[in-house]
Amino acid sequence: MSHHPDLTTSVIKALGWLYLILFAMNAAWTFRSYSRKADVRITGVWGIITALLGMFAIAHITGGSDPERFLIRMPEFVKSFIDLGADPVTYFCGSTLVFIAMIVLRKWWTQPTVAWIMLNLSILFLALSMTDYDFRQIVGKPDNVPIVSMLFIVGFFTWLFFRRAVDNDERIAAGKPLYEVDNGGQEKVLVWPDLVYTELICMVVLSAVLIAWGVALQAPLEEPAAASRTPNPSKAPWYFLGLQEMLVYYDPWMAGVVLPTVILGGLMALPYIDFNKKGNGYFTFNERKFAICTFMFGFLPLWISLIILGTFLRGPNWNFFGIYEPWDAHKLQVLNNVNLSEYFWLDWMTTLRIFEPGLPIAPAGADFGTQVWAIVTREGFGILLVVGYLFALPPVMATTIFRGMFMRMGFLRYMVFSNLVLFMACLPIKMVLRWAFNLKYIVAIPEWFFNI
Amino acid sequence: MSDTSSGGKKLTTAEILAAARAQAGQAAGSKPVPGAETKADAPPAVSAPAPVATPATKPTSTADILAAARAQSAKASGGGAAPATVSAAPVEKPAASAGTPKSTSEILAAARAAAAAKAGGTAPAAAPAAVEKPKSTADILAAARASKSAGTAAGAPAKSKPAPTVTPAAASADSGEKIPVSEMLAKLRAAETVSATTAAVATKPAEVVPAAPLPMPVKPQPVAKLKKPVDEQRRSMLVALIATPFAAAWTVFTATMGVWTLATARFMFPNIITEPPRKFKIGPPSDFDLGTVATKFVASSAIWIVHTDQYKGKSMIYALSSVCTHLGCTPSWLEGEQKFKCPCHGSGFYITGVNFEGPAPRPLERHGIRLAADGMLEVDKSVKFQEEMGQWDDPASYLEVI
Repeated sequence: MSHHPDLTTSVIKALGWLYLILFAMNAAWTFRSYSRKADVRITGVWGIITALLGMFAIAHITGGSDPERFLIRMPEFVKSFIDLGADPVTYFCGSTLVFIAMIVLRKWWTQPTVAWIMLNLSILFLALSMTDYDFRQIVGKPDNVPIVSMLFIVGFFTWLFFRRAVDNDERIAAGKPLYEVDNGGQEKVLVWPDLVYTELICMVVLSAVLIAWGVALQAPLEEPAAASRTPNPSKAPWYFLGLQEMLVYYDPWMAGVVLPTVILGGLMALPYIDFNKKGNGYFTFNERKFAICTFMFGFLPLWISLIILGTFLRGPNWNFFGIYEPWDAHKLQVLNNVNLSEYFWLDWMTTLRIFEPGLPIAPAGADFGTQVWAIVTREGFGILLVVGYLFALPPVMATTIFRGMFMRMGFLRYMVFSNLVLFMACLPIKMVLRWAFNLKYIVAIPEWFFNI
Repeated sequence: MSDTSSGGKKLTTAEILAAARAQAGQAAGSKPVPGAETKADAPPAVSAPAPVATPATKPTSTADILAAARAQSAKASGGGAAPATVSAAPVEKPAASAGTPKSTSEILAAARAAAAAKAGGTAPAAAPAAVEKPKSTADILAAARASKSAGTAAGAPAKSKPAPTVTPAAASADSGEKIPVSEMLAKLRAAETVSATTAAVATKPAEVVPAAPLPMPVKPQPVAKLKKPVDEQRRSMLVALIATPFAAAWTVFTATMGVWTLATARFMFPNIITEPPRKFKIGPPSDFDLGTVATKFVASSAIWIVHTDQYKGKSMIYALSSVCTHLGCTPSWLEGEQKFKCPCHGSGFYITGVNFEGPAPRPLERHGIRLAADGMLEVDKSVKFQEEMGQWDDPASYLEVI
């Protein structure tokens, strides 16, 4: 069925090197376990794993005379199982669940051994997946190199934060000095040399990496641009894939102008909104629960995971594809979308027999006022919802869930804060509405290029 | 201006940093880092931090650190003599108690005064100068030189530098006015000669003079107003003299901008247009079979020619714009699915151009089409017809085929 061989000799050889790196990493880990005088059985298990990985590496590097018969590859049933979950609902809900689990189980997964096992598994998953032709097409693209490295970098720094925060929270609970204090941290450090020197080193290292990268990987140039020819799929630069995903659910002026402006303005407003003086200069989670959870929800599930979605799961015609699924330009996905006004006037009102069926439409040749009235009536329900969401919800929240915050923040700060939270929440809300009810726009006034 | 009388050797930034950190460490009470200035004797090293350490607990600025460091090193290099540190201490205390010193000059003054004090033995003359917030480098110079001359000329009595000639300078320094360096120097020299001859006499007027209130003559200003007519003339001439170049510059600027605007306007109407014409012929209606979408004009003219009977049941030919109404990508016509599908965000349109899936908020736009006199179809891209505005009923937007 497949026109492309899943495996070629060069791929197997390259994977051999990856396994060799994994082998070296685990050898070091086994040595660490041994030198720390851990339980002999644990050290033994790590030794066995290392030996196995070494054998994997040898098998890849020496074997491969007949790639078709090479055995170490991702099993088909695993691939089809993973592809089953390739729809936006599963993906987004799954990533949100992972996010919640990450916070709830932070004490467990920040242990070095657990984190090490997770790192090993993720690299192993990547290596095994590379034996699939379609997965390789995505990951092997020079465009996507930063995204794969981003996955590991974001993972590492998230782990680092939670590890330090969990450690510090335990210290605070036990009344012991903070990790930063125990490790020679001072309340204030000098700009020079403490900061500038670090920045210089970072600058040099980053420049070196970029130059090496630019020399090693060729730019993925495509055919000359033409106004009437759009590549299929047409993907934004990787850092804007979250924005592109947002555009699937919103009108361009909303997803391309209003929401990015709110994101930027909101990030700039953070220092003025935050009244919590704790957590300055040291890692903590318990002392800043709300701030950290809110920010991380905006960053991890709503930005990073949408970048992953855009890279790995969106294919031709912006359809959803599993990571091992061939990109078929004719894949059929039913996406019939309906505006809220159509639901309201054609569905609910007709069912309830309140009004005559049909959208309110101004008669042909009506004057401007009549037309405006017809449009506003048509979209009235949606407009009410939006106005209620933005203007009625903040006071309601101030008296209920954000009561304490409202008291401490004052009116103006609270209003800015609550509107930012509502704007952030409107993306997942709209996504869920689209998936659950095929809802296209809550307020749809194409006559005035105004859609929400 | 490099004043070598400060006694201490010039410090490198590294040394200053080391000194500052050592102090901060001592103040915080944590690890006492051994300072880089190991040549400093024990007594000054211990006694010195007392006045300085109090502000050092919260170093507000680099100026603070610098001042503290220099003061310290000055003491250290001053020989470690006990009186030197004692005399230096009162100099620093006012600066420290003042909280945040206002300027580098102030700090420098304090530091140099301290050094000068050591160099000239016990010379309290410098101390008040430093305490009273000298406003400028000139002040510092004055203070430093005065103390120097005091040391060289007559020892203890000579410290009373302010000879009668100096008094205006001192007074004006109090009132906060700046004095030219040349003037200062002249007065200083005069003072030197005077102090050499009659030193003892000079002390008395010096202490009396600072009380003289100088800012009094400010009041007679209302009188100046009366002289209007004379001043007016002179001033208007001055204003004209200053304003004329500005007026000329703005006039030239405005004129240039005007010419540029005209040139830009002209640029909008080029002599030759390389774009394809807005009106063009695409062939006879028989070229377009029922139920087909001609995609051959997309690359050149960004239109599809559609012949279908699905819109309101009439068999018609129309020209659909190939610009997605969501964000302007070019959708592709999928023959099998009978729909236009956009690769950017997944918007889908029926063959009629009506949107049905994805985020596109409105149907594709139509361009004008008509049957020309020679039996050819002519598309007019200069007009567009939008369904949501009810413009698709316009007979110019389609050609009915019977």
